[in-house]
Amino acid sequence: MATYLARRIGQSLLAVFLTLTTVFLLLRLAPGDPAAAYAAPSATAADLARIRAEFGLDEPLITQYGIFLRDLCTGNLGTSYSFHASAFQVVMDRLPYTITLAVAAIAVTTVVAVPLGVWMARRADTKRELGTNVLTITGQSMPDFWTGMMLLTVFAVLLPVLPASGFTSWSGLVLPTVTVAVLQLALVSRLVRREMTTALAAPYTTVARSRGVSERALTWRYGLRNSAVPLVTALGTRFAALLNGVVVVEVVFGWPGVGSLVVRALETRDYPLIQATVLVTATLAILVQLLVDLAYPLFDPRVRLGKAA
Amino acid sequence: MTPSPHHAPPDRLSPREPLRRRTLLRLGALGGTGLALGPLSACAGPTGAPGPGTLTLGLNRSLVSLDNKLNQFDAAVTVQRAVRQALTRIGPGMRVQLVLADRFAMTEPTVWSVRLRAGVRYSDGSPVTVEDVATAVEMYGKVNGSFLLGLFPELPTVEKTGERTFRLHTRRPVTVLDRLMANIHITPAADNRPEELQSGVGSGPYKVIEANSGAGEYTLARNPRYWGRPAHVYTVRVRFVPEEAGRVIALRSGELDVVDTLTPDSAEQLTGLPGVIVQETSGARINQLFYNFRKPRGHPLADPRVRRALTYAVDGDALIRDVLTDSAEEAQGVVPLALEGAIPTGGYTYDPGRARAQLKALGAEGLRIRVIWESGEFAADSSVMEAVADMFRDIGVRTSLLQFEPGGDILKWRQGRAGDWDVIGNGFPGTTGQALTSLQGMYGGTPERERTRDTYMGYVVPDVQRRLEDAATETDATARARKLADVQHTIWNTWPSLWAFAPKTMLARRDRVHDLGLLKLNSYDLSAVRLEA
Amino acid sequence: MASVTSTPAAPTERPSAVTARDLARATATRQRRGARFKIWAGSVCTALVVLPVALAGLLPLPDANAQDLSERRLPPLTDGHLLGTDQLGRDLLSRILHGGQVSLSVGVLAVLVSGLIGIVAGSAAGFFGGWVDALVSRFLEAQLALPLLMMLLLVVALFGPSVTVITCVIAVAQWPEVARLTRSLVLVEREKPYVAAARVLGLRGWSVLTRHVIPNVVRPVSLVVLLLLAQAVLLESALSFLGAGPQRPFATWGRIISDGQAYLTTSWWLVTLPGLVIALLVVGVNLLGDGLRDRTRRRKGARA
Repeated sequence: MATYLARRIGQSLLAVFLTLTTVFLLLRLAPGDPAAAYAAPSATAADLARIRAEFGLDEPLITQYGIFLRDLCTGNLGTSYSFHASAFQVVMDRLPYTITLAVAAIAVTTVVAVPLGVWMARRADTKRELGTNVLTITGQSMPDFWTGMMLLTVFAVLLPVLPASGFTSWSGLVLPTVTVAVLQLALVSRLVRREMTTALAAPYTTVARSRGVSERALTWRYGLRNSAVPLVTALGTRFAALLNGVVVVEVVFGWPGVGSLVVRALETRDYPLIQATVLVTATLAILVQLLVDLAYPLFDPRVRLGKAA
Repeated sequence: MTPSPHHAPPDRLSPREPLRRRTLLRLGALGGTGLALGPLSACAGPTGAPGPGTLTLGLNRSLVSLDNKLNQFDAAVTVQRAVRQALTRIGPGMRVQLVLADRFAMTEPTVWSVRLRAGVRYSDGSPVTVEDVATAVEMYGKVNGSFLLGLFPELPTVEKTGERTFRLHTRRPVTVLDRLMANIHITPAADNRPEELQSGVGSGPYKVIEANSGAGEYTLARNPRYWGRPAHVYTVRVRFVPEEAGRVIALRSGELDVVDTLTPDSAEQLTGLPGVIVQETSGARINQLFYNFRKPRGHPLADPRVRRALTYAVDGDALIRDVLTDSAEEAQGVVPLALEGAIPTGGYTYDPGRARAQLKALGAEGLRIRVIWESGEFAADSSVMEAVADMFRDIGVRTSLLQFEPGGDILKWRQGRAGDWDVIGNGFPGTTGQALTSLQGMYGGTPERERTRDTYMGYVVPDVQRRLEDAATETDATARARKLADVQHTIWNTWPSLWAFAPKTMLARRDRVHDLGLLKLNSYDLSAVRLEA
Repeated sequence: MASVTSTPAAPTERPSAVTARDLARATATRQRRGARFKIWAGSVCTALVVLPVALAGLLPLPDANAQDLSERRLPPLTDGHLLGTDQLGRDLLSRILHGGQVSLSVGVLAVLVSGLIGIVAGSAAGFFGGWVDALVSRFLEAQLALPLLMMLLLVVALFGPSVTVITCVIAVAQWPEVARLTRSLVLVEREKPYVAAARVLGLRGWSVLTRHVIPNVVRPVSLVVLLLLAQAVLLESALSFLGAGPQRPFATWGRIISDGQAYLTTSWWLVTLPGLVIALLVVGVNLLGDGLRDRTRRRKGARA
């Protein structure tokens, strides 16, 4: 267990580090100048040079990278150019919003997709099941920003019952959550259906049935329990992906999360802020994956960590 | 009924491992929940609708700070001035009004005599002092890349002459110093820094009770110790709504009370809706399709006659009416007429036949024009560019469009360091309300500044620059006006822009909001605004 | 109903309690029917979008870039504009179809490239194992942790928003899926007798892989690639929406929508219709891929 954890954490740290380095390089190679984005259009070349020096951008790339690594080791992610505050703090201010949206979206997906998948497995290959399947595929096939705009038009313009943007009340969570959930409904429900179908056709189910176990118990205790590991994996992966970026949905709904922050940070070439965002979200995503892996044995005692992997 | 997976019979698991795993999981879950919900409870109330005593403003750009040392967008001024004040301000009709000062007069060409108003205090009760003013001027001077600094030909020095009186000295006459000082916000000297302040107090009618600069959200409450007439509205919430469509929808539904800096399209969508009032006034900003003045001698565009001929291709009326939906006025001069000292110098004519004929006569047929701009430089920018490209096609000029995303390399291109271009879509703000400042900013380029590419698109005309300088230091108002008028005609005749327009300043508000005096500078006095119960 | 069943029905005189009606209700029949429906519906949806897009040049349509400022934002079905006009008076249908050519070619090219990278990397990892496998697998894992869309935006900013760059960027975003599947399939194939036979015959590793193993995994992989096409189209439109689309005057689907966003409350068609077209195409491709997969899976099941 301990060695397994250590190896996993070591690998994760390496992945985060490589990601950060890639982003660091990409940022500095990409066109665009933080000083120009920061200063007024009327700023002179001398002004810009002063700002670059202030940001430490006049150093050679390798020196900048060295400083970046040194600061990283001391936990300093730098000061955001545009917010004039600790980049880490700015990200942490926004993070709760993204986490809230991700949690809500995953919760809604689970609550809808799991029963739906179970139902689909029990009604496998009927016309109604086919229709439901096509419907969820349709949900998955719509561009998320478009779905968002359509929902906005209906629920904020035509029937103004929900707020259009931002997080001023819990009702503001509804539309973004639905937009994200619609997208992943097909994925999760299909997964549950497949696993359930396999489980319900397995010999042990037949045995259990012959011993008089009720259909309900068969479905939930035997069938679903056996689908738990792939289900948790899928949900965990989706959750991690959401933490890494519901960029488009956040932009459409003016959601003050990390995704819209990163778009803005890109527009101002706010290097420290972008780096901090990447560090925080990538770490979180990897952490979630790790927790999911750790959780396997809870759902399936046959899994022994460290041996399978 | 449904056994949850967590209730797995314990005997099936080995005794030690799951405990540790569970502890980990539990810690993770707890931490996650705390992280997710902690700060949120403070931000979100039970409903989204603003309360009866709360005014909610929806800005389209994030207000990073309530200090203005670096902020350049005009609408921010409304909120910033509600908290921090300056000695003066630009009021209705572009006139100077005294705020923290009760006397601000030029006593000699290079000396202004100022007296602070008696009894002005910050929201913490401490008095506003001459030292605060001196420190403020010094701090603004030290800010790198400040837009405001660019407006000052030189920063004044403060000489204290009494408890409340001081003199402002400049080396050369700065005839608009009283206007320029409207941009220097005063805050206690001890807390002032040469950067944007994230906290601190001001002397304005409102004080900050909650700030989330990362999200651009602020809550202001009436300042009970305000030295002047107290504000009408008790609470003001400032929100950042990045998407224009989102702002429009939120205003429609009453989530927002005021949205400023409307785009033409949102104005069109909001006009005539029940409960919504669209307010407009002419604007101090000018948006131009400016020629590249760094073309080598002999290039067609280096010839003012070619530049003029091309202007005939642009159907300005159609652009204003159809693309900008009457939310702008075609420029009749080189700066917007709303600015003090601006005069009409001519107009743009649409005559594609003449354009074609003159280009032919000048031997500039088969021109290829590359138009560059940055997304969001002005409202409906890409539509304007695409329409202009289409108009050029009608006179046989081939056009390529190059759109930059914010944060991209447009500055390098502007300076002519990245690639060749012919026309740039660019906006120039009229922050001081003075034609002179805008004229100097755009047309006052010198060969020395061009060496570092610090002129406006390479516009260097020594004669124009000399006469602008002359007008700027002229202390006699009538003579200054005359000189300024003359030089504007001269500039017009160099045909600097393919086309230009002054967008109207537009704002939409719910009808429960009253007494919102929108100024041409795209700001208003927040303390005068009233809310219907 | 029972008499028209298309199952290889036994002659009626066969002494069996299984009636034609039972056969029609059998799981296998229903599965086949489901797969057939998906393939059929998917093809129709895809064709409804792809054919007009491919034939856009031949259709009697106004020029996609011909503006008429006096005819801006006409609602659908006015003055010969089937889907109305946009904010500059251009025919929306024509713009959607011509824009679709850009969006679709980006999608198809991206999928081809990612399929190629994915198959090569995945089969090498699966077949040779060892350090090749470790390298590819680490890459796959690392990419999962990346904030993908943000990286794509950065890369597009770095190399400029040209069609080539956007194609490559999408391909790079998508190769892991192909690689992972190929790897798992090759792992299975590797152990089969014919591979051993080929080795015994003296074929070198690479030739075994390319001549024997890959042809056996290409079919299932190509199905996934079809599903990736749907994602590629969505990804391209998301990039265009965020401003990282190909330079104007290329009209892509994402750009048409994001330009139309400003008119959401007054001119619904500018956003709704292009979105519907994207959704129709993607639904079609997804259904088609799904149906084909269902069919092969069942066949394999039957053979086993």
